[in-house]
Amino acid sequence: MQRRNFIRSMSAASLGGFAVRGFGNPLFAPLFDRAGEDRVLVIVQLYGGNDGLNTVIPLDQYGMLSQVRSNVLIPSAQVLPLQGLNGLTGLHPAMQGMRELWDLGQLSIVQGVGYPNPDYSHFRSTDIWETGANSDQLLDSGWTGRYLNFEYPNYPTGYPNATMPDPLAIRIGGPVTIGLQNMGVSMGASIYTTEDSLDLSGNIFLDPVTADCKGSKLDFVRTVQQQTDLYGNVIEAAALPSCNLSTMYPTGGQPGAELARALKIVAQLICGGLKTRLYWVSLDGFDTHSQQVDGNDTTLGAHALLLQGLSDSIRAFQDDVHLLGIEDRVLGMTFSEFGRRIKSNSSLGTDHGAAAPMFLFGSKVIPGMVGQNPEIPADTTWNTNLPMQHDFRSVYSSVLRDWFCMEQADVDTVLLDTYQPLALVDPAGCLDTSVHQLNQQAGLSLLDVYPSPFVDRTTVRFTSDGGRVVLQVFNEQGQAVRTLVNRDMSTGQHTVTADLEELPPAIYYCRFQNGARQQVKNMLKVR
Amino acid sequence: MAITPYTGTFGRSELQHLLRRTLFGCTPGDLAHFNGMTLTQVVDELLTFSNNTAPPVKAYSALDGNNNPDPTLLDPNVLFGTTWVNTPREADAAAEVTQARLESLVAWWMGQCVEQERNMREKLVIFWHNHMPTHLGQVFNSEASYTMNQLLRTHCAGNFRQLIHDVTLEPAMLYYLNGYLNVASAPDENYGRELLELFTLGQGSGYTEADVQAAARVLTGWTVLEQSGGNPILPQTIFFPFNHTQTNKQFSAFFNNTVILGQNGPDAGENELNAMLDMIFANDECSRFIVREIYRFFVHGDIDAVTEAEVIEPLAEVFRNNVAAPDQVRTVLTALFTSEHFFSAAIRGCMIKSPADLVFGELRLLAQPLPDPALLEARFQVMRDMYWLVDYAGQNLGAPPNVAGWPAYYLYPSYDDLWLDTSTFPARNNSLLGINYNGFTTSENTYDAASANLQFKVDQVAFTQLLNNPSDPVMLIDELVDHFYVNPISQSVKDQLRQDYLLLGQQNNSYWTTAYNTYVADPNTTNMAAQLVPDILRWLIGDMQQAAEHHLF
Repeated sequence: MQRRNFIRSMSAASLGGFAVRGFGNPLFAPLFDRAGEDRVLVIVQLYGGNDGLNTVIPLDQYGMLSQVRSNVLIPSAQVLPLQGLNGLTGLHPAMQGMRELWDLGQLSIVQGVGYPNPDYSHFRSTDIWETGANSDQLLDSGWTGRYLNFEYPNYPTGYPNATMPDPLAIRIGGPVTIGLQNMGVSMGASIYTTEDSLDLSGNIFLDPVTADCKGSKLDFVRTVQQQTDLYGNVIEAAALPSCNLSTMYPTGGQPGAELARALKIVAQLICGGLKTRLYWVSLDGFDTHSQQVDGNDTTLGAHALLLQGLSDSIRAFQDDVHLLGIEDRVLGMTFSEFGRRIKSNSSLGTDHGAAAPMFLFGSKVIPGMVGQNPEIPADTTWNTNLPMQHDFRSVYSSVLRDWFCMEQADVDTVLLDTYQPLALVDPAGCLDTSVHQLNQQAGLSLLDVYPSPFVDRTTVRFTSDGGRVVLQVFNEQGQAVRTLVNRDMSTGQHTVTADLEELPPAIYYCRFQNGARQQVKNMLKVR
Repeated sequence: MAITPYTGTFGRSELQHLLRRTLFGCTPGDLAHFNGMTLTQVVDELLTFSNNTAPPVKAYSALDGNNNPDPTLLDPNVLFGTTWVNTPREADAAAEVTQARLESLVAWWMGQCVEQERNMREKLVIFWHNHMPTHLGQVFNSEASYTMNQLLRTHCAGNFRQLIHDVTLEPAMLYYLNGYLNVASAPDENYGRELLELFTLGQGSGYTEADVQAAARVLTGWTVLEQSGGNPILPQTIFFPFNHTQTNKQFSAFFNNTVILGQNGPDAGENELNAMLDMIFANDECSRFIVREIYRFFVHGDIDAVTEAEVIEPLAEVFRNNVAAPDQVRTVLTALFTSEHFFSAAIRGCMIKSPADLVFGELRLLAQPLPDPALLEARFQVMRDMYWLVDYAGQNLGAPPNVAGWPAYYLYPSYDDLWLDTSTFPARNNSLLGINYNGFTTSENTYDAASANLQFKVDQVAFTQLLNNPSDPVMLIDELVDHFYVNPISQSVKDQLRQDYLLLGQQNNSYWTTAYNTYVADPNTTNMAAQLVPDILRWLIGDMQQAAEHHLF
């Protein structure tokens, strides 16, 4: 009797016989492979648009603030002043934890982050932040998705593999959204817990997919199914209970407990030896149109609880990675789709706004405040918004260059333009480039573009498995601008010339599809 | 240019496609019911609704000192077994009362879904709930949430302008998007923005930030009343002229520089709202936007240039031509579901089931037994468990992620792919396996003794009795595959299913036929091979539920 139950029960999961990996086990750390020591970025997304003016409070603007937002304003005596800023800037009183990080030299505050022509829609502005688009530009890939495609260009073909046995990115507590997508491929896995939930060893539903829409959709479902199986194994094996040492995490009904749970998993998985480069967690509820503060005490209320949860969780996480001895490998970054309006409304809340501060945290940040306190204009009306001091892509650019150790030209390719990097992270301590070269070769290369950059023409080489091959060139907006091949091709290697003389210089993506196999490589056209 | 009507064969597979997209799944009974009808007849019936069913009733209670459930200890103003929807909660009612009523509401709603009539109403209620959501937990008002659900039901295939008008002034929406706090002295833009961005025109259609602010000012002055003369009343929308912005509202060139003249007096709010809706509906972007919403929910996520020209634009024209018609949405849906495009290979089977489609589709397909209507408490508990089952599979009905609804219905470019990731995949599978293996149970400690300790488990043998040839193992597998999957399954996989399960590894088909017929003739048979039949079917279905193919429809 074959009883194929792919789903593991809780008890089956705890019996899963997977070897524990990690630093302590040299068998699983091949000599010279230092990728397991590479740097990690933790993105903390604050959904809803965080009120920057009540988070990083410009005490020098207090007179004006009390005219335009008196009903939500924090009493100046209760603001937590930041050492070294001459009493001009302070944090919301609920943010004791992040003030401690400031005192420890582990916090960088970037003032006035936004983009030109701000959009006030949650959904559009989230999209802009996640893709790195201009206000009037629609992109179908995320900035971290493009970064991971740069680092692991063959993904997902031939993954997992010895060089990269783990998910490239892990989203904890929510879906993988566009930030981690690249040309229709999700570069991240999503988990809620670290339990291994699937074992596909008995699966017999392996018929070849049909060459139509429902076939390609089935292919997608199977990819998720296989990733769930494979990554479930490595995540469960890496999630060692001994990989959480901090006792500071909020729990139970305390503010931020859900975020803390996610950050605990992050610490656990880094410590447990995953080579995953990027973790994405989130906190919801910042859309404080009404009742942002308690009517009787503006230091209390919904926003105070959110900031306390954020601050306490991050403080605990930093404590944990310090105790685990991995703090120098971990950088954190918060973002929200926009700040809120300068002038408050009569519902004890604030409407959608524009620029706002971002936090970077970790032992390797260059501590301090980048930029100035925002200035509240004397003629502030309902429409007045804080101007941008820094483009959000300048922050991304700094992280990619100084934390992920990329060449500036490559950073520009990932961000689709040049953005002035800021001094946010100490660049010392990058691993040598052999690690990056190893990553780029990981998996199975089905597609090469040479040369790139090119002026008019370049050569595309690809490996067909027989059957229909579709080879197309896409622009940044995801529009197919050339179809190079669309026919049955024999098994083996083929080359075609891509003549793009008539197209403007830009970054293009060459996408190869052959049955269920697909791969995307960048091609850079220059003058 | 009109949309091209479908003129091809309307056979079993076309009927399955139509029913899977418009009902929750497609059962053998559904297929038999519509068998032999023309496409037009089927679509007509799918868009014809009976009167609304009875409202939710109180089937909840609290425990007394002896641990016995006592309904008079929770929401005492409502008698057990009667509806709470017309009884205002006391101003100081405990949160438990609101919570109990909201649980009663969602249990009732899930009952409507799992026991749906053979029409589109329940799918449309979820469509509109996704399009113009209110969040049960954030609104936290049981009576307002019930009337909102009723409103979506009443107008689900009716006139869109009427629906938008009524939703705008519905207490649950006034609470959810702060309209009740939107006053002249400090306008709250929340609802005005979403009205333009998410409900009628769409982000990037061309309206300006100043239009959002002007819309917010048009909408100033409305609030919700819950007390009268010191007594609690049902939530009631009221307009206070002194909170209304009485100056003119200037809109942008996108709206032909329309000025909505500022009014005062008791009708100012209603008049200005109507003027603004006229202005919005005069813009062609409104019809395109709502048609795209319908298309993405029912047909396919991605809309390419050809679809935009050949499907969206013609349907938008139908929408505009019927802008005042009481069955405007019904007319648009009829055109869509009888179109050539809807039956094209390019979209058939090419969508990932939403958790509601997945769970209710499975419950309906496998003929999940449900408590008798007289067993109020048992029904309440079972339907409430169904609510959490859909939530577990990834869709918390009544509590969408935010005001835009579920990303699978709007987020470019992945759309329905977003239902599925490495965390929802095992959860979706588990929810199906739970239906097949565990079923639903009621608690042992109930107020109504007849509702206690009951089990409602799928009867796999009874389910196969609804098929045509369950005793023939080849045909049984063929029929199950036809009901479970839209993608083709090879003969070798079907053979393996038959041999591994139905034949227990043997070669001879008569093994199954004999065992099945013996069991059906006498479920208490002592024949050991026949005794295994229910388990065999449970294992077979459990295996088939876990195939990747089962996620598509």
